[in-house]
Amino acid sequence: MVTVNPRFAEKLKKFGAKTSTECFNCGTCTAVCPLVEEENLFPRKMIRYIQLGAEEKVKHSVEPWLCYYCGECQQYCPRQANPGELMMALRRYLTSVYDWTGLSRKLYTSKAWEVLSIIVLFFATLGVVALLHGPIVTTHTELETFAPRHIVDPAGWLFGGVLSIILLINIYRMYRLVMTSGEQVKIPWSLYVKEIFTLALHFFTQRRFLDCKSRRTNRWLKHWLLMTGYAVAFILVNALSKWFLTNEFLSVFHPARLLGYYATIAMLYVTTDAIIGRLRKVEPVHQYSHSTDWMFLILLWLTVFTGLLVHVFKYLDLPLPTYYTFALHLAFTVPLLGLEVPFTKWSHLAYRPFALYFMRLKESALQARARRPQTGVTASEIGG
Amino acid sequence: MGVYICTGCDIGESLDLEALSKVAASEYKVPVCKTHPFLCSAEGAGLIKQDIAGEGVNAIVIAACSPRVNTDVFDFPDVFVERVNLREQVVWCHPANDEDTQMLAEDSLRMGIVKAQQAELPVPFQAEDISKTILVVGGGLAGLTAAAETAKAGYRAVLVEKKETLGGWAAGLKNVVGLQPPYTELEDLNLADRVREVEENEKITVYKNAQIEKIAGAPGMFDVQIRQNDNLYSERVGAIVLAAGAVAYDATKLENLGFGKYTNVITGEQLEEMAGQGAIKRPSDGKPVESVAFILCAGSRDKEHLPYCSAICCTESLKQALYVKQQNPEASVYIFYKDMRATGNYEFLYQRVQKEGALFFRGDVLGVAEVADGQLVIAAEDVLVGEGIKTEPVDLVVLATGMVPVTAIGEKLVIKAEDDKGAQEEAPADEIIRSNILNLEYRQGPEVPPLKYGFADSHFICFPYETRRTGIYAAGSVRAPMDIPATIRDATGAALKAIQCVELTAAGSAVHPRVWDLSFPEFFMQRCTQCKRCTVECPFGAINEDEKFNPLPNPTRCRRCGTCMGSCPERIISFKNYSVPIIGSMLKAIEVPEEDEEKPRILVFACENDAYPALDMAGLNRLSISPWVRVIPVRCLGSMNLVWIADALSKGIDGILLLGCKHGDDYQCHFIKGSELANYRLSKISETLNRLALEADRVRMVQVSIMDYDKLPGIIEEFAGRLEEVGPNPYKGF
Ligand code: SF4
Ligand code: SF4
Ligand code: SF4
Repeated sequence: MVTVNPRFAEKLKKFGAKTSTECFNCGTCTAVCPLVEEENLFPRKMIRYIQLGAEEKVKHSVEPWLCYYCGECQQYCPRQANPGELMMALRRYLTSVYDWTGLSRKLYTSKAWEVLSIIVLFFATLGVVALLHGPIVTTHTELETFAPRHIVDPAGWLFGGVLSIILLINIYRMYRLVMTSGEQVKIPWSLYVKEIFTLALHFFTQRRFLDCKSRRTNRWLKHWLLMTGYAVAFILVNALSKWFLTNEFLSVFHPARLLGYYATIAMLYVTTDAIIGRLRKVEPVHQYSHSTDWMFLILLWLTVFTGLLVHVFKYLDLPLPTYYTFALHLAFTVPLLGLEVPFTKWSHLAYRPFALYFMRLKESALQARARRPQTGVTASEIGG
Repeated sequence: MGVYICTGCDIGESLDLEALSKVAASEYKVPVCKTHPFLCSAEGAGLIKQDIAGEGVNAIVIAACSPRVNTDVFDFPDVFVERVNLREQVVWCHPANDEDTQMLAEDSLRMGIVKAQQAELPVPFQAEDISKTILVVGGGLAGLTAAAETAKAGYRAVLVEKKETLGGWAAGLKNVVGLQPPYTELEDLNLADRVREVEENEKITVYKNAQIEKIAGAPGMFDVQIRQNDNLYSERVGAIVLAAGAVAYDATKLENLGFGKYTNVITGEQLEEMAGQGAIKRPSDGKPVESVAFILCAGSRDKEHLPYCSAICCTESLKQALYVKQQNPEASVYIFYKDMRATGNYEFLYQRVQKEGALFFRGDVLGVAEVADGQLVIAAEDVLVGEGIKTEPVDLVVLATGMVPVTAIGEKLVIKAEDDKGAQEEAPADEIIRSNILNLEYRQGPEVPPLKYGFADSHFICFPYETRRTGIYAAGSVRAPMDIPATIRDATGAALKAIQCVELTAAGSAVHPRVWDLSFPEFFMQRCTQCKRCTVECPFGAINEDEKFNPLPNPTRCRRCGTCMGSCPERIISFKNYSVPIIGSMLKAIEVPEEDEEKPRILVFACENDAYPALDMAGLNRLSISPWVRVIPVRCLGSMNLVWIADALSKGIDGILLLGCKHGDDYQCHFIKGSELANYRLSKISETLNRLALEADRVRMVQVSIMDYDKLPGIIEEFAGRLEEVGPNPYKGF
């Protein structure tokens, strides 16, 4: 029995769920959603949980991650309850629930925290650069001399390591919550391995996005561009930093430059497009923007843009501008990754495929149990 | 007499007109018999008018289209007009130039001629000392509106209210929901203005603190005795608007929801009163409420209590939720409902209440329990997530109880036919509830017979306002549960019906649904055996009884259905243009071929209101109908006298099909009980059939509505098939 809690909806408002009371539970949204399946009905049910204040139910639910915010429901809702945005808000809320540090909640619910965190990380990064940078060669652009790899690389690994640990812990917390909802079933180890394909598939393709019938734009393609652009940049910066962070001037056809261009253009195009979209508010997905959505887009755009500038200045052989923009580039990258990956928006890159993975695990286990012949007879059956 | 056959609309091409004319001219020796290619034209009608003036024709038979069309063209003053339906029911639904079609046309013409020979022109009934005053019973919103509208239309009204002040239930409302855009604001009903308008109106006499002692008489001449304090007043009125309203369902029966058990469980009415007086407080300690739960359908739509929906509890509760929010915007409001019936513009109100943060729960309330400090917890089944839920403790629980019409309250009576001799078998009789509102001096009981649940209404769709007592029109919540705008519309409509009634009565005409009809039943008293059939079976209580148990007809109460005529075993009740002998002669005019010709005959008695038009529609849609049928329209199946069946069968007709309206709870019979009574009479006919050594299968009754026109060919075919199995009527040729 759920005890009704009117304050829960109030609490969720900070996460962007402003319209939950408008919903009168007609179910139109569930009917039109291209992604619902018989076992996972949303968004109406989730909205009802918000209305009831069934916080525990919400915490354990996986449904918000199954929604890709095509906005179909939003266009059909007779009450302008914005079900798609409510699902988005639930994802924000769940992100904060999974996060054990508590920072996620702070970032989502307090603009002051958000801005302060960015500023602190921004200046801290600049400070670290000021302290640790190498010799400044002004006659000629020598980026690697300015940012010696033996310092940058370990710092990068350390930073990445910390973020990954936080995120992994969060994923484990998500796992605990999702797996303890509904029917309980024991999952054999072999299944975890068998279903790893689901995880990889969805991580790399986000193919469920294709089921969304968003007609006007190909959001899957854009999203995929962004994600591959990011992945390429990530690999360049981390694994192949000797190509990226070098004093050498590479030929235009060097793979590092080509890949770098791809990543830059892809990310710049998609973020610019999203910023314009959010300003014009035509697509349902862009109509309602939480402050963290802006934070993400602006930081990403600035990061990519300063990265581009570094490249341009370097190849124009302008030493000082190159070093300064590089410092700025780092100062944007650190809050972007530091705040987004484990605590806010970017964590979905892990939560979405894991949600599907966990769901598959549970479904397969349940199916297997249903197929298994009943062995063992209970005492009461014998007695009866 | 004159017979006019139209040859237009396919009739000329499909029939042998010479042979048809011969039926009139030779068989029946009709002096004037003419054909015309376009009878409904000015020229065609002119031809008839000429004959009326020149040849002295005063009964005419028009063999052309259905009697349901061109009524204005074939309307000749002081001349009896009988219409033979050659178009819709002969040539349009039977093959052209076919022997059987021709026989059908000729039989139809025979029946028409026989009827024109025997029928007389009705002479309208003239009531004496007619009053056109309208009595309005009840001074609530409906009564006030009805009286004011009556006066506006120029008629005098007499309003009787049992309380000391006018206004009724609506007077207890703090606010009403806005009836203007945006439909979300709370407004004042301005009832005081309405009361003043009535009290200051010269055309309206108001009796407050008064009760109706008795009402005798009939429309146009009701004598009303009103007791006010200790004085008796008399008023003569022409028609009555019954606007006595409803009361809230007795909440003490809702102990399962905590009423009477916990102090802080109250009814919607109590909350309204509290809000009207100022702050909404907890009855237990007078603290202003911080959380309120409304339970809708409290004792409504519930088999144990009121099975129906009272129409206003949802929106009244939404309104009251706004009272709570106005008092304290932070207050939590929980609304438990079965279905949110906030229809039409009330949707905006619902939306507003939602926006203001009230929480809605759809599903059954499982229970209300008191926790500490008089606070209450409600447990319910939330069907929207399929789970049990419970609230946090709330300060106040408000039960939205439904409405019970005052006509439903009182001792139940069944007035039976049984006299001292107790000899007669019973036709189903109606229940009357002695609610002490009208106190009619009617043989059939002192109040109007209610619909199910006790509402004073007669037909749920076709005839709103009409009760089953002619001249008494119900309006407002005594008729059906309704909200304020509907009540105002209802009262206006009922006032208009009452005015129509007094005017029609003064002209000697029937009221709805036979508004043009000037005929009325006449009783040949010498042969009456005082069996009381007619007094019991008249669906409208038109027939009283004198001290010697003789029926005492009241023509202005009569709706001219003919049910009494059908009921009378002595066949002494007849109308000038519709009687047992007239129909008997018509059916005897049908030519029944010999058995070896293998042309069976099926007589169809078709109710004029639905079945007959449905047959017309079948023709209009060119459906093909069995050629064996011969159709006689009847005013209502209730007017069917069993002797017709005996006559038809002894004449050799193979089967009789009765087409009437649906009866039972959701009846569609235009005279309420007619088709039910016909059905009842049929159940008694087996005896007659046995006497004639005939099979009961030869008589069948089918309920049809006008929309069943496409099923009619099948219904008839099926019956013909059954008759074929049974074999020809052995009485053929006798
Ligand atoms: S969010 Fe809109 S479409 Fe979905 S159930 Fe609520 S009102 Fe209906
Ligand atoms: S936004 Fe799209 S995916 Fe999400 S709930 Fe609505 S219809 Fe389904
Ligand atoms: S049964 Fe019909 S016709 Fe006869 S008195 Fe009553 S209302 Fe009139």
